[in-house]
Amino acid sequence: MSSDDAGRPSADEPLDDTDVRLLDGIRDMFGVADPMPADLPERIRFRLALRDLEIEVARLADEQEVLAGIRGAEQSRTITFDSDSLTIMIRIDANRDETVRVDGWLAPPQRREIDMKTTAESLSVSSDGQGRFAFARVPRGMAQLVVRPAEQGPDGAGRSVVTPALIL
Amino acid sequence: MAVDDRGPGTVRTGSRGHSVHPDRGERIAGLVGAARQGSEEALGQIVTELTPMLWQVARAAGLSAGDAEDVVQTVWMRLIAHLDDIHTSAALTGWLVVTARREAWRVRAEGRKHFPADTESFEALPAREPGSEEQVIIDDQRRTLWRAISQLTGRCQELLRIIAFVPRPDYAAVAAELGMPIGSIGPTRGRCLAKLRTLLAATLEGDDVLG
Repeated sequence: MSSDDAGRPSADEPLDDTDVRLLDGIRDMFGVADPMPADLPERIRFRLALRDLEIEVARLADEQEVLAGIRGAEQSRTITFDSDSLTIMIRIDANRDETVRVDGWLAPPQRREIDMKTTAESLSVSSDGQGRFAFARVPRGMAQLVVRPAEQGPDGAGRSVVTPALIL
Repeated sequence: MAVDDRGPGTVRTGSRGHSVHPDRGERIAGLVGAARQGSEEALGQIVTELTPMLWQVARAAGLSAGDAEDVVQTVWMRLIAHLDDIHTSAALTGWLVVTARREAWRVRAEGRKHFPADTESFEALPAREPGSEEQVIIDDQRRTLWRAISQLTGRCQELLRIIAFVPRPDYAAVAAELGMPIGSIGPTRGRCLAKLRTLLAATLEGDDVLG
């Protein structure tokens, strides 16, 4: 024991080694009992790196795999992303070659410029007035959607919305 | 209980010698400077370094995990606008803690998904693994510490939880921000730590934790 044998530890004394060891123990305890999600710093760094782009980051809201009806064996994935201003739904179907087809819908419906950034290239399409868009052939692998304001017209204002990276 | 050779008269007279990571404050201050100059890498390192602290601040305020994540992210976004005013590690840590706490209260006041902190249970700790004796001792000490802390006021529990995650050189600055009195020669123990030590000293297991 340390100086406390003489009596109750006083609140007015400077921190001593025992206090520091206790604080280390408290940190260790909460680090085990209530750990931060391991990927939280990385997600915040990603968000900060995009901050100058006037963007919203969409979140994965739903993901489903369904067997495509006609050919039966081929799988189709539908993924929904939500951001403050926009919902983005995409359906991913395998093409016969090593690429995928991505059909998407924006809600509320609006004309936007849509980029599909992949490790290999960046593809761009526009959505129509019903919010529909399609990428006929996208290489498999990591991809990220960026929905930019339409270049002209009444939907020209607004911020870009980016999705988290996904694996096609 | 071991009686060590430091007698009752050996009251430490400063915060020197307490730093397990003596360079941490300097390193963070350097990162703040680089981040102000626009270094994304430096900013990213600060985020990695101090997000665990902000997580505990938000959770100590009683937020759900989802709300805590939102609060932590909001605080970092807000820091960008304040970087020019912040020049030291202590100023950074103090600003982050105070802003996170205020934001956490605001979110909690909105009444969204409010889980009081006292519903957390230390039962969530992973079961003791048949590992080394040392591991078992550490786990026992955690439980003893948990029980002792649970007897403190909510305010003390929150304060100690936050201070424990603050980089050591910044204790004094953050403690002051949180209303913990600072003596003329550095941070004082404060009533929360004093009470915790009294509680621990009252039991055999607690005495082991005090060392």
